[in-house]
Amino acid sequence: MQVFIAQVINGLSLGSIYVLLATGFNLLLLVAMIIHFAYPQVVVFSMYIAWVVLRYTGNSIVLAVLAAILSSVLLNVISAPLFQKIMKNREEVDINTTMVMSLGIGMIITDILSHGFNKGLPIAFPPKLVGETPILRVGLISLMGGQVASLAVGVIAVSGIFLLLYKTRPGRAFRAIAEDPNGARLVGIPLLRTGLESYALSGILGGLIAVLLAMLLGYSSPGLGEQVAHKVLAVSIIAGLGNLAGGLVVGLALGIMEALVQGYISGSWSNAIAFVVMLLVILFRPRGLFGIKL
Amino acid sequence: MAQNEMLLRVDNLSVAYGHINALKEVNLEVYRVEIVVLIGANGAGKTTLLETSLGINAPQAGVITFKGKTISGVPADRNVRAGLCLVPEGRGVFASMSVLDNLLLGAHHNIKNVGKNLKRVYQWFPRLEERKSQIARTLSGGERQMLAIARALMSAPELIMVDEPSLGLAPIIVNDIFDILVHLNQEGYTILLSEQNAYKSLKCAHRGYVLETGKVTLSGSAAQLLNDPGVREAYIGA
Amino acid sequence: MSLAMYYFLTISAVYILMSWALYLPYRLAHLHFLTVANMLISGYLAGYLVQSHGFPFALALVAGFTAGGLVGYIVSLFIDDAPTFTVVIVGFTFIYISRTAVENIKAVGATMGMFGLPMVAGTPNAHRLTILILVYALVVVVGFLIYRFEHSRVGRAASVMFVDKDLATSMGVDIKKLGRLVQTFSSLIAGGCGVIYGFIYRSYHLDFFTFHLVGIFMTVIFVGGYTTMWGSLLAAPALYGLSLILPPAVASWRIVIYGAILIAVLVLKPEGFITRRLAYTLETTLSRWRKR
Repeated sequence: MQVFIAQVINGLSLGSIYVLLATGFNLLLLVAMIIHFAYPQVVVFSMYIAWVVLRYTGNSIVLAVLAAILSSVLLNVISAPLFQKIMKNREEVDINTTMVMSLGIGMIITDILSHGFNKGLPIAFPPKLVGETPILRVGLISLMGGQVASLAVGVIAVSGIFLLLYKTRPGRAFRAIAEDPNGARLVGIPLLRTGLESYALSGILGGLIAVLLAMLLGYSSPGLGEQVAHKVLAVSIIAGLGNLAGGLVVGLALGIMEALVQGYISGSWSNAIAFVVMLLVILFRPRGLFGIKL
Repeated sequence: MAQNEMLLRVDNLSVAYGHINALKEVNLEVYRVEIVVLIGANGAGKTTLLETSLGINAPQAGVITFKGKTISGVPADRNVRAGLCLVPEGRGVFASMSVLDNLLLGAHHNIKNVGKNLKRVYQWFPRLEERKSQIARTLSGGERQMLAIARALMSAPELIMVDEPSLGLAPIIVNDIFDILVHLNQEGYTILLSEQNAYKSLKCAHRGYVLETGKVTLSGSAAQLLNDPGVREAYIGA
Repeated sequence: MSLAMYYFLTISAVYILMSWALYLPYRLAHLHFLTVANMLISGYLAGYLVQSHGFPFALALVAGFTAGGLVGYIVSLFIDDAPTFTVVIVGFTFIYISRTAVENIKAVGATMGMFGLPMVAGTPNAHRLTILILVYALVVVVGFLIYRFEHSRVGRAASVMFVDKDLATSMGVDIKKLGRLVQTFSSLIAGGCGVIYGFIYRSYHLDFFTFHLVGIFMTVIFVGGYTTMWGSLLAAPALYGLSLILPPAVASWRIVIYGAILIAVLVLKPEGFITRRLAYTLETTLSRWRKR
């Protein structure tokens, strides 16, 4: 039973990270009208920045968090004009070009991480972040303080983002554009400026996710970006591209499923679940479980 | 005098989409507190005229001024903030959002007075207050049109442009909508209306323009247009 | 010839072939990244057959082609007319799954890889010459096939698909059949490439078949020009050669350089360097020249 609880907690933390990633991805898709394959790489890059800041400031968590958020916001905002330049119009997603552009950005980020930081070896976050001794230990499973903290922060972040989207003025503007960009324009919502705001918002989310991942995993590596990128895509596709509420459900479900598999079955099979399910959904229900909301 | 102040002036406006000339040298004026009707068939250019005035397109030639300031080429959100608004054809409500959210979107540029405006809008449209948490998709056609007009009111506009309000609505509902527009006008709102339904709209308007393939072919008081044989034949079928 | 020249010529040729394998489906708006997975699967398959079962190289090569074509065909049954995004994801997923499978299968060397594959011919020189001739023969054959396809009625109608799928259908193009054909062909070529790639180095390693390859081949088609086959033909050796002539310190950053070039091309020269108009002018001048 304790294994179960530990893994559910793990799964919820992981799940909330997936939800945040999918939401950031969907926001860019719905409001900025781009497919940003490299969004998770931006997150991993921020993890590295946080790591550097931790090393040079004697493990100042506050500064690291700020640095992570700042770096992903900056990366997003810098790439915004590039995406804008290649988009055909502001009312429809140009899937081909934005996808290729973001793949290019991802290539660059991953390779910079492989060459520029720690000689390409994985980086470890200070034990203080993850927690030095386990809170809970059952057999081979141990629950670290950092994991519980990441769950707490994760839940707050997810609630926060959905509150923002559904109860605030900028959130309404995002949803309006998400539903009908042309209609939004007619009501006087500035598409360009709101699109840029969504770059910034997903940047802030990205920085938060970086911190959460650091707390949950305790390490990072150049390859982590690709792994995570594929998971996020899996969540978005299984839920249905652009489906924010669907992303919430699928993200959490995937996190819990992966954690449970990890807890009870040995090997790296947990990763496979996401891909197998995604493959099945793509092949048999290409619009996703809850429908595409593009 | 406020009564005769020119609110909107369209001067020699030409708008083209690629090679298609949607509007050719259109001239139009709207004075305060009047109801002006744009009559024309499908594709005559009515929507183009309204959307260009709002700032969705930039004209190829000509100038649009609102309250004396040039607004042609200015982006729509600035013009909305200046007091112009558009109730689009097909209602343009956000179907997946609640009635309240739709109304709040209308107040996007006027969020300071949102409480006051919301109360006023609910007074005008009590049925919307009843349904304020309902998703807009579940409203009837007439209710959606009311929501669209209410949403426009939330920005406390000075000039309300309405694109084909009667489209797809049952005649009884159409009467209700026109009654609402007349009442709004009596409260002090200026209305620029585009319609295919010439009779009903001319009945409540002060002046009108006839638009045919991008050109203004006739203009005058509503009474003049109602009695014009050409208009009667083409748009009223009498 | 020097070893460096050998590697340059052979790897360039593989790059050309793989870029063409990616170029052809992209004419139908499909970014068929499954091809990289095909490389991996067929490559390891061939290596395994040769090392553990003593297959002659030629037979293993045929097996590689066949495996590529088979996998490509089966997958195409599902994604023959799917949107670009779906094709991309399916490709990525297969790359990931096949990498994970190889990681865990001891028989193909798992994370260590396979080494010391037998030579294709008697001496090292003969081996290298055979590979060189083989790979360039393939370039000529595949190039010829693609050329003929593009200038056929079907090929011309197919290029409409990139712009507008419905328009293409109304022109009588059977999208699903065309999609299957093109994807199967690409996967077949990719399978063969995978086998050859390994035999150039006489080893197989997971590091050969990473997502970096996806990036490299994408850069080649988009920089060369995705509207004609000549773009990839020129861009592949150019980009690969670039990484060889750069000083080693810079060369280790080649993926970043490729990425930057890709982004620059997307923003500044979206159709690539060899645009359709350029290719058309070149082809007509060439044919006029020939007629003289």
